[in-house]
Amino acid sequence: MDKLNLDQHISQRYNEELEDLRTRVLNMGGLVEQQVANGLQALLEFDADLGEIVFNGDFEVNAMEVEIDEACTEILARRQPAASDLRLVMTVIKAISDLERIGDEAEKFGKVAMRLAGSANRPAYYAELRHLGDQVKSVLRDTLDNFARMDAEGALLTAGRDEAIDREYNSLSRLLISHMMEDPREIKSVLEVFWCARALERIGDHANNICEYVVYLVKGKDIRHTSQQRRLAAQKDKQGPTDPA
Amino acid sequence: MSKAAEQTQTRNLQLLEAFAGTTGEVRVADRKMRMENVDVFYDDNQALFDVNLDLGKNEVLAMIGPSGCGKSTFLRCMNRMNDTIDSCRIEGRFELDGEDIYGPEQDVVLLRARVGMVFQKPNPFPKSIYDNVAYGPRIHGLASNKDELDHIVETSLKRASLWNEVKDRLDAAGTGLSGGQQQRLCIARTIAVSPEIILMDEPCSALDPIATASIEELIDELRQNYSIAIVTHSMQQAARVSQRTAYFHLGRLIELGETKTIFTNPSHELTENYITGRFG
Repeated sequence: MDKLNLDQHISQRYNEELEDLRTRVLNMGGLVEQQVANGLQALLEFDADLGEIVFNGDFEVNAMEVEIDEACTEILARRQPAASDLRLVMTVIKAISDLERIGDEAEKFGKVAMRLAGSANRPAYYAELRHLGDQVKSVLRDTLDNFARMDAEGALLTAGRDEAIDREYNSLSRLLISHMMEDPREIKSVLEVFWCARALERIGDHANNICEYVVYLVKGKDIRHTSQQRRLAAQKDKQGPTDPA
Repeated sequence: MSKAAEQTQTRNLQLLEAFAGTTGEVRVADRKMRMENVDVFYDDNQALFDVNLDLGKNEVLAMIGPSGCGKSTFLRCMNRMNDTIDSCRIEGRFELDGEDIYGPEQDVVLLRARVGMVFQKPNPFPKSIYDNVAYGPRIHGLASNKDELDHIVETSLKRASLWNEVKDRLDAAGTGLSGGQQQRLCIARTIAVSPEIILMDEPCSALDPIATASIEELIDELRQNYSIAIVTHSMQQAARVSQRTAYFHLGRLIELGETKTIFTNPSHELTENYITGRFG
């Protein structure tokens, strides 16, 4: 039952409410994606103006979270959704909380960009953030695509890419730690890079969470806290015999 | 009809044509009643098609489905209520503790004492509260003296959570009670003859939310001692009170499963369409 058929309720109004909910999450996702991209650009290009735009933009993300939360509460109270509709509302409630936190991480990039733009001293290994940043942006984009298409298989694959982000983050951390040990005077500025790398890694984790919710939404299976190998094996098993439904 | 509605209707018909047996486990280990290959006809019209289902001990089984799906027909077969309808023909087997309830030796009056029924509209007898409850025990000879009868009446009213509200006016007319109280009186009347199973046919559809809540609370308590099968149009009620849910559609038992699963992740598309309010 992979297709959610949101437009086929007897109540036309209910169709509209659920579709509206989905659209709003996609808009919020688009805004968050933009915030992350702008934040990274501001960071890498020492662009204080863009940094400020990102910093101020987080208010909009927060407002969207509150609005969508309210819409979910209203649907729960008025419609008492069941089955896939219930899973959609649960998924939205959880996904927007992760999106909001991704927004917070992007806001940090804005703040750091504003701080560093004025300083003459550019921290070491700063450029290394670009590679990690590109990886995270790509995962975030695919995560939102999976949500938009309600694609559980895609979400499972995207979730698997979080390991690569973690590896990249770990090797960058090692580099930064060695550098700090070699030159303790740079600890303060290297820590800025460190926090940004940490924020990127956290964005990867939030994207991973959203991918897990997409699998729950489409398949009704909760795959949180299971290993990627197990998930893929379960997925393979499922492709064997055909679903009776 | 909108295009989406037409699509779903066509899809539902296809699913029904492709139906090859109930999705989910229909049997339970600790069974009270077993129904096997049940077909029911009203004259030439078939109302139920090869239904297989167990009612477990100490469980509440909810039966849901759109009007005309056969759920009430099935419920009524479980204590031979349909015997009174001449045009009704029943095939298949209904076993209560392994015993065929449609067998030639079966005493129908006794069967209905063992398998009691509560109806949609509260239907107390035009008698006192006391006599409403005492009626069954009297005709079945369950009490040898007045004290025993008093005891049965009191226990039944207590189990039906009505005792505290009526203990000072047992001689008042049962029909003078509120709707919710009348329904609890009917439940007390059913309990008074010590049934093993209670069948409920939309017991709350004529009641307000508060009376409904107290009946639902009662159903949960009754489960400790009885097996309960409840037909309801309120899916929220099925979700609240039952442990297993059966979904009927046009005379077929489409899906049977744990209530939790049916309402969060049903397996069959017809079940999904019905409980989410899609065209069905």
